[in-house]
Amino acid sequence: MAISLAFGLQSLRYPIGQMSHAGAGLFPLMVSGLLLLIGIITVLRSRFVERVHLDIHMRNIAIILASLCGFALISEHLNMTAGIAFMVFSASFAGTSSYSVTRNLKIAAGLIAVAFAFQKLLGFNLPLY
Amino acid sequence: MDVLHNLALGFEVALTWQNLMYCAIGCTVGTLVGLLPGLGPLATISILLPLTYSIPTGGALIMLAGIYYGAQYGDSVSAITMKIPHASSIVACIDGYQMTLKGKTGLALFTAGVSSFIGGTVAIVVLSFFAPKLGEVAFLFGPADYCALMLVGFVCVSFVTTGSLLNGMAMCLIGVLLGAIGTDVTSGIPRFTMDMPFLADGVGLVSIALGCFGIAEITKNLDNKDERTPFNGKIKLMPTWAEFKRIIPSALRGSAIGSFLGILPGGGPVIAQFAAYAIDKKVSKYKHEIGSGAIEGVAGQAAADEAAARTSFIPLMSIGIPENAVMALMMAAFIIKGIQPGPNMIAGHPDLFWGLVASMWVGNCFLITLNVPLVRYWLSVFKIPYAVLFPSILFFCCIGTYSVNNNLDDIFITAVFGFLGYLFMRLEMDAAPLMLGFILGPMLEENFRRAMLLSRGSFSTFLTRPISGTLLGLIGVFVAWQVISFILQTRKTTGPHQILAAHPAAEQ
Repeated sequence: MAISLAFGLQSLRYPIGQMSHAGAGLFPLMVSGLLLLIGIITVLRSRFVERVHLDIHMRNIAIILASLCGFALISEHLNMTAGIAFMVFSASFAGTSSYSVTRNLKIAAGLIAVAFAFQKLLGFNLPLY
Repeated sequence: MDVLHNLALGFEVALTWQNLMYCAIGCTVGTLVGLLPGLGPLATISILLPLTYSIPTGGALIMLAGIYYGAQYGDSVSAITMKIPHASSIVACIDGYQMTLKGKTGLALFTAGVSSFIGGTVAIVVLSFFAPKLGEVAFLFGPADYCALMLVGFVCVSFVTTGSLLNGMAMCLIGVLLGAIGTDVTSGIPRFTMDMPFLADGVGLVSIALGCFGIAEITKNLDNKDERTPFNGKIKLMPTWAEFKRIIPSALRGSAIGSFLGILPGGGPVIAQFAAYAIDKKVSKYKHEIGSGAIEGVAGQAAADEAAARTSFIPLMSIGIPENAVMALMMAAFIIKGIQPGPNMIAGHPDLFWGLVASMWVGNCFLITLNVPLVRYWLSVFKIPYAVLFPSILFFCCIGTYSVNNNLDDIFITAVFGFLGYLFMRLEMDAAPLMLGFILGPMLEENFRRAMLLSRGSFSTFLTRPISGTLLGLIGVFVAWQVISFILQTRKTTGPHQILAAHPAAEQ
């Protein structure tokens, strides 16, 4: 419902036009309306079905997303080689019971080698250094 | 005879050493993806899509198709040997794993491999004859019919993937809205861009696919903390003649069912396997053994799985409408390469179409080699710990996202969709309909606007045209059936007193 309202209200800022000559906002407005209707029906339906516990572990997803964002930031401000190393070392905190620096060094070295292969052999424009 | 002539042209294209190499790479990567937990064909195709930019069009499509049907082959191996169910191998776990417990792993793997080969071959014959015919029918479609067909696809995919029409349709519509982000092609007005220049071209397909499937899937596996024990049992592959004879009828039945269900909107390997398994349980000579490790329980579903994976290319290549999320991504790959799938594709690019069809059979030969005689080597893949595997998958996600536009901002978008994908997964809302909605959204809008323009703003055009009227009628019947079954189920399971007890606020 939140998504439908966000898109629907924003659609009103664009020309709506007529059905025969639709403006930029008409189609998203119609789809948002339909999505809102589905949202309302889902809320109503939820009153007739059993409650289910929502199982979310924020730790792992937070580590993975931080690794991705860190990779992008370091690649932008330093270089991608450092970005890959950061990503491997930080992502390994997620879900694993044993953290091994040696293993991470090997993985990072392997992935950096693959990145160089992509750059040199496939012509990828990777800012590795 | 035309078909034979065209197939000869196709084999001429498919048997060039470059295309053979792309086909072999696709099949190998696909088998690996099928074996390993963590990435499905959808995420893998998304990752490898940018790598295909520098490959010729034919080779790129052959490789991506190889990944898709290769993954269907490979996933049955992990299901049979270790009972690791992937999305499309749940049925293989039933009888396949029972055969492993009885010490007949080799027979189960041989059955799955040979049946998949039969299924693939039958589907290629269906594809060769049926796709051009359906392409001719597609010329009858107007904009209103295309809209109705896309809506049928949304409804079917929503129901098949999530099991709930409401959840699935909600995901489809979110995908359609995400597809509307960017510059409106008719008026040139930027929509929902929040004044960010990099959104003017819309949200990247690869960012959504990798976020919702790649990142979300990795996190799910990390949350589960599953430690898998590699298969160490003996594998005796060659069956006796009596056992071999049992494979054929079931595989042919599965091939026919899979070929048919693969063509239908929302169809595909998953639904085809269940249908083939159910039919075998009804009509097989050994139906009493199915469920406790019967050859028929593996053969039929494996053939149906592979056949449906191939015939699901038919609607994409002949009508231009993908019937599931993987095909939607394949369609994006076609478009990136400058090919518009649809009725004109077969006539306009016969080398590409027939080359792809012929490469499927070449891929079939690669896959039976990879998955039957070499299967014991593939099983050593499970010895790689997930702690090593997932940083590598993350790396490929990052490189895949970045190399589309050489823009690091796209990685932030992938991260946002990774979080959304994770939330959707925990809410048990499958992201596949979102992907379909995202790719078909702009096409739906274009056809809707065109239909409205032609009918001068009258919605009756959707009902008066025979094709769209029939398709919308089918949707109406399906929705009515869903509503009635929900009401009946609610009445059966929950009395009015229980509802009030569960929600005391409603009494006040």
